Amino acid sequence: MEKLIEILEELNPEVDYNTCEDLVDGRHLDSLTILSLISEIEDEFDVVIPTTEIIPANFNSAKKIWELITRLEEEI
Amino acid sequence: MSYFGLFPLFVFLPLVIIIYNILPKKVRPIVLLIASYIFFYIISNKLIVFVILSSLSIYIAGLIMKEIDKDRDKLLEKVQEKEEKKLIKSKYKKRKKVILILTILFNVSFLFFFKNLNFFTLTFNDILKFLNIDYSFKIIKHLAPIGISFYTLEAISYLVDSYNEKIVPSNNIIKVLLYLSFFPTIMEGPITRFNEIDSSICSGEKVTYHNLCFGYQRIFYGLFKKYVIADRLNIFVKLIFSSYLNYSGVTVLFGAIFYTILLYMEFSGTMDVVIGASEIFNVKLPENFKAPFFSKNISEFWSRWHITLGTWLKDYIFYPVSLSKCVKKVAGLFKKLFNSHISSLVMGFVALFAVWSLNGLWHGAGWTFILFGYYHFILIFLGNIFEPFISKICLKLKINRNNRIYKSLRIIKTTFLIFIGELIFRAPTVNVATGMIKRIFTNFTFNNFGSEMLSLKLDIKDYAIVIISLIVVFVISVLKEKGKNVRESISKKNIVIRWSLYYLLILSIIVFGAYGVGYQPVEPIYADF
Repeated sequence: MEKLIEILEELNPEVDYNTCEDLVDGRHLDSLTILSLISEIEDEFDVVIPTTEIIPANFNSAKKIWELITRLEEEI
Repeated sequence: MSYFGLFPLFVFLPLVIIIYNILPKKVRPIVLLIASYIFFYIISNKLIVFVILSSLSIYIAGLIMKEIDKDRDKLLEKVQEKEEKKLIKSKYKKRKKVILILTILFNVSFLFFFKNLNFFTLTFNDILKFLNIDYSFKIIKHLAPIGISFYTLEAISYLVDSYNEKIVPSNNIIKVLLYLSFFPTIMEGPITRFNEIDSSICSGEKVTYHNLCFGYQRIFYGLFKKYVIADRLNIFVKLIFSSYLNYSGVTVLFGAIFYTILLYMEFSGTMDVVIGASEIFNVKLPENFKAPFFSKNISEFWSRWHITLGTWLKDYIFYPVSLSKCVKKVAGLFKKLFNSHISSLVMGFVALFAVWSLNGLWHGAGWTFILFGYYHFILIFLGNIFEPFISKICLKLKINRNNRIYKSLRIIKTTFLIFIGELIFRAPTVNVATGMIKRIFTNFTFNNFGSEMLSLKLDIKDYAIVIISLIVVFVISVLKEKGKNVRESISKKNIVIRWSLYYLLILSIIVFGAYGVGYQPVEPIYADF
């Protein structure tokens, strides 16, 4: 989780990722930032995020993104 | 025919509501389907066959994919090995892919034939002429089925979502037929997803007094936007775009501003009518606009303007293209050579190019629409390139980007860029578009401003009505932006205030609507796409 927060802070340092729950809906992460985020996550955690998982519900908070990573790791 | 006419709103719709309500619950979805086909037939006559063909194709393809999934799951139950499971999944996925691609091609071929073939033929003929080849391909003149651009995108989303198991393809044929042809949405969207209206479209719930009131309130608000504002500005816009050389740059800029307002009022007004009419039948449609002129950059504008088209392109083009294997490979190389920002820019460049090429073509087969698409592509891409630098500069200069003044300046900049974009969109040719933009920047004088503005068929009274009406729309937009439900708040007021407001809205449409001699009603703009 710490590594994920680190990645997110590098992409947009102006957000408090421990509390923010509208990263996508509140436009803190736009489509291109999500692309960077996916690329970083795939490299760091060795998972592949399918396009069907790119929905606001999976990216609205650091916690949700972490849950997605954990789920994808288990599916491998 | 447009949704704003007396017949669709005050004859057809009430008749459907009455028949829908008096018949038993089970039959009501069929009533909606028959009403939808009658509506389609009135506008597009025999071309109704194409919407039926599209609907049947996705219904059958969905069922085949569902069967393939069932067979796969049965087989998977018997297997324990992870590797073997992966092989089975991949084998069955390939089978589904064949169905998916064939059905998408079947649907897109109609869209291409009706919407784009003549444009490509004309372009090809121009190339042949340029190469001095004495041959030209024949242009076939034909009408397109109404709403084909909208329902084809809905058909593709149904197929892709079934393929990805995001939805369960329906066994209920009425539901699928109705999904593509539901009469409130058939002409101009919003582009809905099957899972958004799956449960409500065939629920057969009775029309209640509450739904009827709320639905017609929203319809009247749409009529207000169209008749009082859009129709009033139409004559001005027409004159400027047909003879811009007679006017100074500042008046031409007002032409672009008024067209943007007109387009917003017409299209968002249509959405109010469409969403209101659907609400009467308990069908909750997604919103297509969310105060777009409060956007701080072009990307944000497109997440607030024609939202359902934007999300469709994002879900079915942007992410699948940017995360495809070959794009990822190239981006990986850039990451090794440079950094992750450059790598994501490469991914975004390819995907955005695909999105905006399609966005331009979807709006119409013409060079102005293609230029309109690439104009936004360049603006969004440049915005992404410079964003980290701007962010660093602001940090160094200690500029708070959430500051009101900074935000307002960004909104003004974005709005101006949107005016130029819509000018390109409206211009009859690329030459006119570039000529008008040139005139704005080279002939910006206020010398004859007053007399020019009054020579364009609008008088002081017209301007006053437009300004007051825009203030009303602006206040409602601000309240909505702050998360307030205006209709709910009004419904809680006492009966005198409530009905005074309703009558005021209806009276303002009757009294201040731009009808009769001197005005030209706006034709449904998006129904042609």
